[in-house]
Amino acid sequence: MPTRPALSGHGLSKRYGTQYALSGVDIDITPGEAMAIVGPSGSGKSTLLHVLAGILPVDDGEVTLGGTRIDSLGETKRSELRRTEFGFVFQSGMLVGELSAEENAALPMLLAGAGRKEAMAEARRWLEHLGLTGKERNRPGELSGGQAQRVAIARALAHRPSVIFADEPTGALDTRTGGETMTALLDAAAGSGAAVVVVTHDRDLAASVPRTVSLRDGRIDADTRAGAVVPA
Amino acid sequence: MNSFQLALRVLRTDGRTRVSAILIAVGVAVATALVLLLVSLPGATETRADRSAWQQYGEPSEDGASLELVASEDVAPDGREIQRVDVAALADPSRIDLPPGIDSLPGPGEALLSPELADAVDHTPGSQLGERFGANAGVLGDDALAYPEQLVALVGHAPEDMPSTAMPQDGFSPAGRGADPMLGLLAGVGVVVLTVPSMALVASSARLIAARRERRLAAFRLAGATPRQVIGMVTAETAIAAAGGALLGWAVSPLLRQAATTVPWDGGTWQASDFVLGAVPTVAIVVVVPLLVVLAAALGLRRVLSAPLGAAGGHTPKPLRWWRLVPLPVSGVLFAYLATTASSQVEATLLLVSMAMVIGSLTLAGPWITAAIGGLFVRRWRRPSALLAGRRLRDDPRGAYRATAGVVLAVFTGSMALTVLPSIEGQAGALREYTDGVLYVNADHGSLQRIAADTNDALARYGQDERAVTIGDAFLGDENALARVVDCDAAEQLLVVDMRGACEGAPGVYTPYPDVSRDELTVSAEFGQPGTSLPAAVPVRPMTTTGELAPEAIVDPAVLPADFTPNTGTVAVTSTPANVDVVRTALVSAAGGLPVQSRQARLDGQVSQLDDLQRVTVIGLLAASVLGGCSAAIAAAGSVLDRRRTFGALMAAGTPVRVLARALRAEAALPALVATVGAGVAGTLVGIGLFTMVDDGAKVLTPWLAAPVVLGIGVALIASSVCTPALRRVQAEPLADE
Ligand SMILES: Nc1ncnc2c1ncn2[C@@H]1O[C@H](COP(=O)(O)OP(=O)(O)OP(=O)(O)O)[C@@H](O)[C@H]1O
Ligand SMILES: [Mg+2]
Repeated sequence: MPTRPALSGHGLSKRYGTQYALSGVDIDITPGEAMAIVGPSGSGKSTLLHVLAGILPVDDGEVTLGGTRIDSLGETKRSELRRTEFGFVFQSGMLVGELSAEENAALPMLLAGAGRKEAMAEARRWLEHLGLTGKERNRPGELSGGQAQRVAIARALAHRPSVIFADEPTGALDTRTGGETMTALLDAAAGSGAAVVVVTHDRDLAASVPRTVSLRDGRIDADTRAGAVVPA
Repeated sequence: MNSFQLALRVLRTDGRTRVSAILIAVGVAVATALVLLLVSLPGATETRADRSAWQQYGEPSEDGASLELVASEDVAPDGREIQRVDVAALADPSRIDLPPGIDSLPGPGEALLSPELADAVDHTPGSQLGERFGANAGVLGDDALAYPEQLVALVGHAPEDMPSTAMPQDGFSPAGRGADPMLGLLAGVGVVVLTVPSMALVASSARLIAARRERRLAAFRLAGATPRQVIGMVTAETAIAAAGGALLGWAVSPLLRQAATTVPWDGGTWQASDFVLGAVPTVAIVVVVPLLVVLAAALGLRRVLSAPLGAAGGHTPKPLRWWRLVPLPVSGVLFAYLATTASSQVEATLLLVSMAMVIGSLTLAGPWITAAIGGLFVRRWRRPSALLAGRRLRDDPRGAYRATAGVVLAVFTGSMALTVLPSIEGQAGALREYTDGVLYVNADHGSLQRIAADTNDALARYGQDERAVTIGDAFLGDENALARVVDCDAAEQLLVVDMRGACEGAPGVYTPYPDVSRDELTVSAEFGQPGTSLPAAVPVRPMTTTGELAPEAIVDPAVLPADFTPNTGTVAVTSTPANVDVVRTALVSAAGGLPVQSRQARLDGQVSQLDDLQRVTVIGLLAASVLGGCSAAIAAAGSVLDRRRTFGALMAAGTPVRVLARALRAEAALPALVATVGAGVAGTLVGIGLFTMVDDGAKVLTPWLAAPVVLGIGVALIASSVCTPALRRVQAEPLADE
């Protein structure tokens, strides 16, 4: 497996009007590491995720990937980075309703110019890996919530990114399905060597992730690794 | 809060609902303005016809005739048609009722000219135009003209100078020929072909907020609103937009009317007042159009209300049934049959009904065909855009077809018309009776010599070498074969015959039937009357005919019995393109109102009517395409906004706007392009088919046929142009669940 670059943020600040959504956050994500971000509503979890992924520009601080600054890149470069180095899973799958499970999983590759045959084969491989054999031709409306999320995971992983960002991927699922989906995400990411940054409300789910970063009012107030509490 | 207040509040606060309402209003406004104009068309032609009724023959009156009148058509040097009325007062001119726009009856040797004709006379040498009419004694007012730029001459004579064919009548004809049935038919077609795209525009605008509205409705229903209340709310929203649109359409309709006055029909443009519609039909249209829109909105809600809460797409659809295709060929054949046979008013109405049936069956077959095309894309895709486009067509073929239905209909009708029209034009022709360039006047024998002599005086005065010749009519033998009485050299020059050198010999009878029996050589001046025998010594020589209306024999006047005079005949004179107007002036001024004819003039008349039709068709197509393009664009924007979260997520995941926009552009453009080009090809084929049934003459495929394809590409471009801006808007929004 090729070595993956590390993702770091230093002194990250983001303001909406006069209110700080993030203020001076430092965070390092080592290659292949899985991390949960927790915190109360409005604490800046989504903002941090979007800043790290280069979706939102920062007001202060810098984001680096493998030592290269990425926050100062132009939108074209950043979106190229998101397309190649990152994968995304959102709360409600956000699958394209007209496309089948396998087509949804293949879509990013197809949009990036991959051929129909290869992209579809790769997508089917990931769906099988995520336990969706037999559902390849189903439309999103014909999948359960957990299955739809696993299609979204396949879509996020199919192009072999370095980091997967997931914003409440289990938020719309019941506890049991949520747990299964989280496990599927962590296993699949581990299998491909990708790091995972997952935002969740659920302390139990966060417990299944080796490292937990807790946010409050835009600041990190705890960074827990394998049970040990490291003060920020 | 009642549903009306609630709707107003939503319109005030929700941007997207407001945009949709404005677009609905615009669509309704366009539809209303178009219907107001189209419905006024038959009345407009009637108004025109009434104004110019005096230019036509009226009821003959033997006893109480106050005037004698000859109506004829003449051609100006620039090729425009001149309506000429020669009149002689039989009673005290001050006692004759004059139509509006005519101040006084011209005396003998005087003429009243329409402003445009007077202007032409002022700017043309008298020998080419002015001397056809006599002394200018005033102008005809606009109220006496079909259209402001009509060329009309009212020429006065003494009663004894009028030709014997003049109609004695009691004053001028008061009432016109009524509405132009052709324009009435076109107006009917136009109402259908242009209001359907306007309604498609309304429908796509409504769709723009469908997703959001469904969510809102679900929320309302969960909060315990009854279906009645929900329908009331949405209906109020649409009603506000539709009523505003109808009023707007009414307000702008004078502008449209003004624009319509510049479109020539049947020779000229219009007066603005021609298109004025009565208060009752105006109010009816302004009320009925928005009412239909509101009704459609309320009906469309049934689906939403019966659907399970929160069910949002993403299912494999059931395929449509094949029987949807059946009515199309059936109604098509019926339409084609009626189109070829319809001659009466009833049949013309049936024709319109059958056209409505064709449109109805298109609405059935269209979605099936749309789904089939979608299936083709789904099977064959290489790029995700084709897959997306195909899936959308297949998933909601009814909706996809509805969005393009307007354009499909217009392009289908337009291509059909554009195929049939030039093919008819290719057919246009006047049978050949005289050689090209010959001008002629038919008259009774008593006038022939005088007309010829006056013509030749004028020709000599104008320094022309041409001379008019008289040609008598005679009937040969028991068969009453038409013979022209004229000498051999003149026959060769004027008539469509080839004398094959026979003019060298002594005068005789010339015929293409060399073995004609001598017994047949009797001449009669009147069809069916027993004839007088020609002397046995008269030589019979061969000739060949070179035109459709060639005589069956030429009889040299020298061989006729001394007491034989034809009853009727023709004064004919050759002309060249250089002196045709001068020759025409000489002949017209001598003919005293009898029509001066030529093959060229007849051809020009036919072409101008076809030009009218072609022009109206292209204008209709353009209007429909712009409307269709707008509704396709709105539909495209709506479909992007409906999927904003998905696209937002894709862009967040690094898909560049450019790539996504390209896919969405293709998704929007492909159906529009396929639909328009398909409809164009189908229309052309049906047109060719229709025309083949009428006549298997040459089909003229003109460049105009490319018009629907060009328009289709235009529609597709308009439709796809909104994708990038819509996506940028989505991208600018924060990435969040709604
Ligand atoms: N587009 C925006 N405009 C203005 N303020 C915003 C915007 N997005 C986020 N905020 C504010 O920034 C702060 C952090 O928001 P963020 O979405 O990161 O919270 P979160 O931790 O993800 O909350 P939740 O758990 O509810 O998703 C909040 O106070 C929020 O109101
Ligand atoms: Mg959040």
